[in-house]
Amino acid sequence: MPQLTLNVNGGSHAITVNDTGMPLLWALRDLLGLTGTKYGCGIEVCGACTVLVNGEPQKSCDMDVGSAVGKAITTIEGLSANRSHPAQVAWIAHQVPQCGWCQSGMLMAAAGAMKAGHHGAAIANEINNVCVCGTYPRIKQAVVGL
Amino acid sequence: MNDIVNLPRRQFLGTVGAAGGLSGLSGLTLGLFLPDRAEAAGGPATATAVNSWLTVGSDDSITLTIGSSDMGQGSFQTLAQVLCEDLMVEPTRVVLVQGGPTMVTPAPIGSAIGTGGSGVIRNNYWKMRDAGAIAREMLVSAAMARLGDSSRGNYSVSNGVISHAPSSTKLSYGAVAAAAALLTPPASAPLVPDSQFRYIGKTFPRADIPAKVDGSAVYGLDVRLPHMVYAIIKHAPTVGSTLAATPATPAGMVAVVPIKIWTGLGRGGELAGNVNAVAVVGSNTWDAWQGARRLSPKWTLPANAASLNSAKFFADAQAALTQALPYTAPNPSPLGALYTVDSSGDAVGLLKQAAIKLDVSYTLPYVAHAQFEVLNCTVDYVAGVKCEVWAPTQVAKSALTIVMAITGMTAAQVQVHTTLLGGGLGRKLEVDFISQAVQVGMAVGRPVKLMWPREEDFAHDQYRPMALMHVRAGMSKSGTIDAWVYRSVSQSIGAQRGGVLPPKGDGQASEGANDLPYSFGSRLVDWVKFNASPIPVGYWRSVGASMNTFVVESVIDELAAAYGQDPYQFRRTRLTDPRWLAVLDAAASAAGWNNALPAGSARGIAIGTAFNTIVAQVVEISGVTSSSIRIAKVTVAVDCYLPVSPGGIEQQITGGVVHAINATLYGRQTFTNGAADIQNFNRSRMIRMNEMPAVKVVILPAPATASRTAAIGGIGELGVPTFAPALANAYFKLKGVRQRSLPFFPNATMSD
Repeated sequence: MPQLTLNVNGGSHAITVNDTGMPLLWALRDLLGLTGTKYGCGIEVCGACTVLVNGEPQKSCDMDVGSAVGKAITTIEGLSANRSHPAQVAWIAHQVPQCGWCQSGMLMAAAGAMKAGHHGAAIANEINNVCVCGTYPRIKQAVVGL
Repeated sequence: MNDIVNLPRRQFLGTVGAAGGLSGLSGLTLGLFLPDRAEAAGGPATATAVNSWLTVGSDDSITLTIGSSDMGQGSFQTLAQVLCEDLMVEPTRVVLVQGGPTMVTPAPIGSAIGTGGSGVIRNNYWKMRDAGAIAREMLVSAAMARLGDSSRGNYSVSNGVISHAPSSTKLSYGAVAAAAALLTPPASAPLVPDSQFRYIGKTFPRADIPAKVDGSAVYGLDVRLPHMVYAIIKHAPTVGSTLAATPATPAGMVAVVPIKIWTGLGRGGELAGNVNAVAVVGSNTWDAWQGARRLSPKWTLPANAASLNSAKFFADAQAALTQALPYTAPNPSPLGALYTVDSSGDAVGLLKQAAIKLDVSYTLPYVAHAQFEVLNCTVDYVAGVKCEVWAPTQVAKSALTIVMAITGMTAAQVQVHTTLLGGGLGRKLEVDFISQAVQVGMAVGRPVKLMWPREEDFAHDQYRPMALMHVRAGMSKSGTIDAWVYRSVSQSIGAQRGGVLPPKGDGQASEGANDLPYSFGSRLVDWVKFNASPIPVGYWRSVGASMNTFVVESVIDELAAAYGQDPYQFRRTRLTDPRWLAVLDAAASAAGWNNALPAGSARGIAIGTAFNTIVAQVVEISGVTSSSIRIAKVTVAVDCYLPVSPGGIEQQITGGVVHAINATLYGRQTFTNGAADIQNFNRSRMIRMNEMPAVKVVILPAPATASRTAAIGGIGELGVPTFAPALANAYFKLKGVRQRSLPFFPNATMSD
């Protein structure tokens, strides 16, 4: 069985898989226990599984774990210590989440947009993720100061 | 050791046995009785369960254990602030704990209440207030005994600190909690007057939110147990199928487990006892899923599989509309049975004499819930010892009951943990997925997590029923609506669950069509229980109100157009209930109904009720393409009688609007030869951030003094029903075309 080493949240993690075609999503959730990254559709549409790969937003259901080797992966658990990333601070201040299932992906997409140099409303314009609870207006408010 | 107080039965429930879950805390603990959903719906009170729990600890902690489920609605926080009003403690001090279900009578710890019917706040408001007041008075009584002054007027309370004015002594709740626990609770205690509310009517930060921004919140799908294996469900694609032969376990898999529909969980053509699925068990989700994909079980299809098509269902519904005989008929039609819901005057006769006549039909499709967290359940079964279950469920007690039935274990051997829900929307009122996970757990003899891939979640839902409505209305030359004849055809959700229907039929099927407050000279509302579809149906956010309100409020708009009157004024002049008028006016005013719009834009209005709350919406659209409608602004006025958390109401109403946008524009499920056609979001589009309209929520104020006998309204589902008609009415205004079937864009797709 193939053994791989993933660089996740600044640490090296050795995993063993039966199938290097396993989406990164399931390696993160099942093999590394990083369950903050969510499964929504599995077909690269909804964005609930968004993580950062080398700093850029990536739907983790759309990347084979084999091709994630050698890349720097950041999940919601590694976005900051103590919820201190400005997006997390803003999300709490604006009380954004409802059910919360999409919010890890929303936050990682926002963090990626910020890394790319976007500010304020432009961050929301970069987010293509789906929320079915109705948090879009509060996300738009939360990114204003970022 | 807890000090446990037995409260008088009138307010609370009696003896409490062994304490669970709060060991290590000493102080005053009260058991509150919160009604379950059956009782709230008018069923008999089952005064047997202590299912919420308040502990004032000697360490000054305040812990509230709540058995309802959190699917994003934030009602734990709202209940806490209701409690705190009379307990006189800052709501942010309260530690909220998820309660679990139990069969023990009386229950030892805050046990589960079903979470549905927009009911958590409206059904529990007064009980929480009484609990807070009684606990406060017991604590003050203990302070009075401590200080030797029994004059209540000499004491006041502020944020959990009791002040004795004559001696300037201050005692915290914690200092007297143990002594208070020895007192007999009063039957009642004075409540804080509404005019002095500090917490009710304000918004407080939700305790669940921090964990939802750092990935630490644990939903059902996030549960992990040592040595756990992973199961993927694979249903027979065709409704009503059974497994012909158990497939061999593929190489690399742990097991393939045939899954039976458990007694009581049969729905429509999916009959109890049928083996209609297999679970493929592997060492992780992906491997199990790949195993399931490679597996081709042989299914025995129902004999009529080739006729199970959406077009046929609608044709049969059309036939049932005219051919259904009264449910009391000796030789009923196989297509359906007719129930009279509401009748006044000779509506059919008066139709014929009307100067302005309308005769229209509307159709609604099956719609999937598509709650964002797919169905899943984790089970740790140890034969003869225990069965522990973690589930994102709206009905933990039903879960406990089914687990006991499947395992044959006692309540003491079964433990059900309600996790956070990544959305419920009514789908997680069902326990099919829990029953399946338990079967897998028993078969493999080790901890297992069962997941429904999104495709299974879409294709094996218990859908909002498809429906056909035929409406005839007659107006006089002066615009009075002299006759209103409304017939709907839909499956009965209740009957699919074994319910025996009363003479007026399934009340949920006629929600939103019954007891309309318009001034109708005569009316006949009836419902045909449609029997010619085997598709499982279920409770979908706002249930019948989401279906009937679309039709009723579209037809009212058609009448306004036929009469040539502004649709807002048309409604205004045919409503008399002051609350309805106030809500309608509030929505129109906040939306600037009378303000001119640029070319290419239009507004529509609708009003309706569900769960004792009245809602009016104005939807403003600013353009239409071949694949979508640009929704610019939605204004929602809400009268729920007693708004507790304005921020929570705004969130829930906005969420309901989004749910309704997705369903109205794009939502539908269709069937070909008994198999669901739409299996993922790529063919069931959801709006994204850039399509989100501005939503303005106007909350009508609480009465000066709320009455215990007045009905508090629900909120969680109330954003849904009035959206679709308001949109259709705006669309008519803009395009001159009346949309009489939903969704607007059935073939819309979605990709990254």
